[in-house]
Amino acid sequence: MNYMPGTASLIEDIDKKHLVLLRDGRTLIGFLRSIDQFANLVLHQTVERIHVGKKYGDIPRGIFVVRGENVVLLGEIDLEKENDTPLQQVSIEEILEEQRVEQQTKLEAEKLKVQALKDRGLSIPRADTLDEY
Amino acid sequence: MRHAAESGDEFCPFQGPRTFHLVFSPQGADCNVKTPGSPKSALDVGKIPQESPFLPAQADAGLAEDISCDNHTGFLSPSLEDCPLDEDEDAFQGLGEEDEEIDQFNDDTFGSGAVDDDWQEAHERLAELEEKLPVAVNEHTGNGERDEMDLLGDHEENLAERLSKMVIENELEDPAIMRAVQTRPVLQPQPGSLNSSIWDGSEVLRRIRGPLLAQEMPTVSVLEYALPQRPPQGPEDDRDLSERALPRRSTSPIIGSPPVRAVPIGTPPKQMAVPSFNQQILCPKPVHVRPPMPPRYPAPYGERMSPNQICSVPNSSLLGHPFPPSVPPVLSPLQRAQLLGGAQLQPGRMSPSQFARVPGFVGSPLAAMNPKLLQGRVGQMLPPAPGFRAFFSAPPSATPPPQQHPPGPGPHLQNLRSQAPMFRPDTTHLHPQHRRLLHQRQQQNRNQHRNLNGAGDRGSHRSSHQDHLRKDPYANLMLQREKDWVSKIQMMQLQSTDPYLDDFYYQNYFEKLEKLSAAEEMQGDGPKKERTKLITPQVAKLEHAYKPVQFEGSLGKLTVSSVNNPRKMIDAVVTSRSEDDETKEKQVRDKRRKTLVIIEKTYSLLLDVEDYERRYLLSLEEERPALMDERKHKICSMYDNLRGKLPGQERPSDDHFVQIMCIRKGKRMVARILPFLSTEQAADILMTTARNLPFLIKKDAQDEVTHHVGYLSFGSL
Repeated sequence: MNYMPGTASLIEDIDKKHLVLLRDGRTLIGFLRSIDQFANLVLHQTVERIHVGKKYGDIPRGIFVVRGENVVLLGEIDLEKENDTPLQQVSIEEILEEQRVEQQTKLEAEKLKVQALKDRGLSIPRADTLDEY
Repeated sequence: MRHAAESGDEFCPFQGPRTFHLVFSPQGADCNVKTPGSPKSALDVGKIPQESPFLPAQADAGLAEDISCDNHTGFLSPSLEDCPLDEDEDAFQGLGEEDEEIDQFNDDTFGSGAVDDDWQEAHERLAELEEKLPVAVNEHTGNGERDEMDLLGDHEENLAERLSKMVIENELEDPAIMRAVQTRPVLQPQPGSLNSSIWDGSEVLRRIRGPLLAQEMPTVSVLEYALPQRPPQGPEDDRDLSERALPRRSTSPIIGSPPVRAVPIGTPPKQMAVPSFNQQILCPKPVHVRPPMPPRYPAPYGERMSPNQICSVPNSSLLGHPFPPSVPPVLSPLQRAQLLGGAQLQPGRMSPSQFARVPGFVGSPLAAMNPKLLQGRVGQMLPPAPGFRAFFSAPPSATPPPQQHPPGPGPHLQNLRSQAPMFRPDTTHLHPQHRRLLHQRQQQNRNQHRNLNGAGDRGSHRSSHQDHLRKDPYANLMLQREKDWVSKIQMMQLQSTDPYLDDFYYQNYFEKLEKLSAAEEMQGDGPKKERTKLITPQVAKLEHAYKPVQFEGSLGKLTVSSVNNPRKMIDAVVTSRSEDDETKEKQVRDKRRKTLVIIEKTYSLLLDVEDYERRYLLSLEEERPALMDERKHKICSMYDNLRGKLPGQERPSDDHFVQIMCIRKGKRMVARILPFLSTEQAADILMTTARNLPFLIKKDAQDEVTHHVGYLSFGSL
């Protein structure tokens, strides 16, 4: 039953498991229960999945209501192939620790870069300040 | 103009300790009314008779600095209480000797000029007033004159009435703004006393936003909006509770211009609104068929085809039918009769867009639009059959098609924008085609659910999905009617007055696909591949000239900017430079620019000319010669543009043409124009090209387009 061919409509995705990527970088996995015309989503049995390298960890979150403008993309998860990943699941604490470490190294690398640029007289505006526009 | 910018941002109803200002500004749209219910507004009561609400400056100035609101109670901080006016007076008078200017203000605020602002007294006064309210309402309804002290006595409805009386022009055309006046607000019964409700910001806020959306009410007292109003509305108590529970929203349209609703547009429908299929056919909403809708009559494939045959023709790409091919569309006897009647009346031909335009279910069951029918036949304009009168609210005379845009129709937005009377699509109602789809879906769903247990022939995927749904206890939280409601909104967004204008590429792409598949079908005998096309129906245009509302007794007009009437933000003036000492490079540059402009203009002409074929199909018989003339004329102008504008008897210089050919876009354009030119004109172009060939080839090293011109030209010759 194709509601509207050639368009993107979430109606057929209801009650299916989805992976949603948000603008702030979070990845949510949950059952899509309800939508509206702005693509606001209601996710059920949501799990926030943090990926670091080859590992990932799930944080159960319950019910999420996501405002449509914050969604980058979403896609249906095939339940049969869901566990077919080369990724390794670890505990929440471990993954959070890994994430922290990763962010720290990133920050340091960024700092070095900025410093190097400054030494050469260049400056690149930070991406997050440009985010809105 | 002082705004709540002082308190930090424009609109902060629910935030923490802040100063709440109640601000009115003449440019209503620019700053919405801020939250009410501050102690300040209580204080304003005393001031209203003396000061106009537009000059709150002085009083506000003094108080703004001193007041810090505790959000919960809204009471002033003890600081003000602890510093009685006398002390302040002394202090300021001391300073005043130094600077007399300041003194004036201070005097007004704290000194002799100040009104004795004891908010507590004012508060008690209000409480008394509120108790008198039920009586007051009866007394004051129908008062022509505004009693500004009659704070709680006014109904919001009353207010709306008065407002609309004040408005000079009643053509509240811009739905983005004007609906506010006409809304009947859903009022909640005020549970408690003044105390509880005055500080309940959200409550009062709701009431304020509506009528003040973009209007100015200069004579309305400040406090009316500060204080909640007691609605002694008996009939409203019977309303569905959930309707009242919903917060009032500003009535800006979500899409197009939806009608004002008592229930905000954010709510899915309460009940199942399911008119029967037949019912719907018989009385579709006439809105869709306003004049100037053409009484075009769809005639399919000739009288010979019986409705059954017509139905069984596989769904065309035009329709985007959700039906699987095995399910034939069901027609009631009435529909069949109409179909037949239509078939017999006119052996004309239909174009896809004609189908789209006729608000007929006839369009959809008549499936495949056979392209060969489109060619060569000259259709006749006939008045619609009597059976179709139900569809047309306009008398079925030959009216010009809605596509008669003002000059310059082609797929160019600029033409549309520059007209003074704006045409916007009537998107308030769902096109019948779309509505039909929705209902069909609903029926399908119902059938599906009924057949669920005995679903033997469903695919495995389906059944696994159904299984999954069955086992999932949380499934179908979103009801079918809610899903339909969302897809209805999406469908409404697809409506446009001219799909060929708004959605040019998709329409053309599908036409090409259709032609391709038709061609393939001619060769082979295989079943035609079904392509579901997205339905982008055409909808009647509403002529709409926005006139800003005027109020009686006010000077000047409001300019309110909205979605439908955008404000011009940049005043760009074209200035042509005339410099005396132009260098050689500048001359060259200007020449190139001129050539570019000419290319652009000629391109517009070309697109128009290419569009004529489609327009033929859609136009009336009488207009065809005119169209032909226009087309010829345009072709001539194109040719003139190519060869140089001021022809003497000969065309002495190839230079102009060569310049055009040096630019890639120019080359492409010439290639596209060639088929339209007459033989001699085409030959002339070719000769010119040939004469300058070495030069052009050298220039063409990068572009590699010249050979296209060559192929095309030799082909056409």
